[in-house]
Amino acid sequence: MTLAETLSFLPYGKYALYIWLSYGITFILIVGLFVRTSINHKKIRNQLKNKYAREND
Amino acid sequence: MWKWIQKLASPKVFYETTNKLIPWFLWPFIALIILGLFWGLVLAPADYQQGESFRIIYIHVPSAWMSMFVYFIMAMAGGIGLIWQIKMAEVVAKVSAPIGATFTLIALVTGAVWGKPMWGTWWVWDARLTSELILLFLYLAYISLNNAFDNPKTAAKASSILVIVGLVNLPIIHYSVKWWNTLHQGSMFNDMSNPSMHPDMLWPLLIMVFAFQFLYGVLALMNARDEVLVREQNSRWVRAVVMGEQS
Repeated sequence: MTLAETLSFLPYGKYALYIWLSYGITFILIVGLFVRTSINHKKIRNQLKNKYAREND
Repeated sequence: MWKWIQKLASPKVFYETTNKLIPWFLWPFIALIILGLFWGLVLAPADYQQGESFRIIYIHVPSAWMSMFVYFIMAMAGGIGLIWQIKMAEVVAKVSAPIGATFTLIALVTGAVWGKPMWGTWWVWDARLTSELILLFLYLAYISLNNAFDNPKTAAKASSILVIVGLVNLPIIHYSVKWWNTLHQGSMFNDMSNPSMHPDMLWPLLIMVFAFQFLYGVLALMNARDEVLVREQNSRWVRAVVMGEQS
């Protein structure tokens, strides 16, 4: 039994594997863009805060 | 209009504008993606030839369109940066690159996953697929070239030239299905007044296209906002913004 057949109990039957795989990868990549943005945001804020704090000493 | 553009070239105004615009892109994106996914995955009927597998187009086509749209924006912004030395245009081009590269990757991967059950293969070296792969390489080349220089001015200049030269690839991608005999199917939108797609399938596609536009908008704005702070870190207003949040 192939993987596509194994997963055919899911919605979209024999195409379930392909549909959920493509939607899953897309979801992960888009969430990844938001995570990257948020990590970058915090990193930049912290770096700048440290820089200004040092300059004030 | 022109005055407004000139004002936007000021980093401080640009920063404030991006901050204000973010919710105006975020909420439409969330609303449209929910509507589009529900319509496309639940309400739309299965295709009479491709069965359920056609539902992949609701992410494949919007991401493929966005991969070209974002590249076009980058080339325009790069050109504006080169000609008028507007630093904020360089910011727009720079922050758009990883987003555009991701859309290109999504288009390629979802296309491959669709191709497996429909064509019987993940990949063929046909003109449409190859030119889209070249677009991904152009994005990656732009990103690495931009990171290769310490001076953001030199980086912007070199990478803007690259992105403008690479613009020649866009018509190749678009017309590849006409110019060559490709395995990839032709465009469904040659005649917008008479699209070769039933409204029940077409509407969710259009909604998803708009959702992806807003997605690009919100991501670009969020990244541009941070990029401006880095570039203008020696300005007093950036210090005020950053330190003001601490208290």
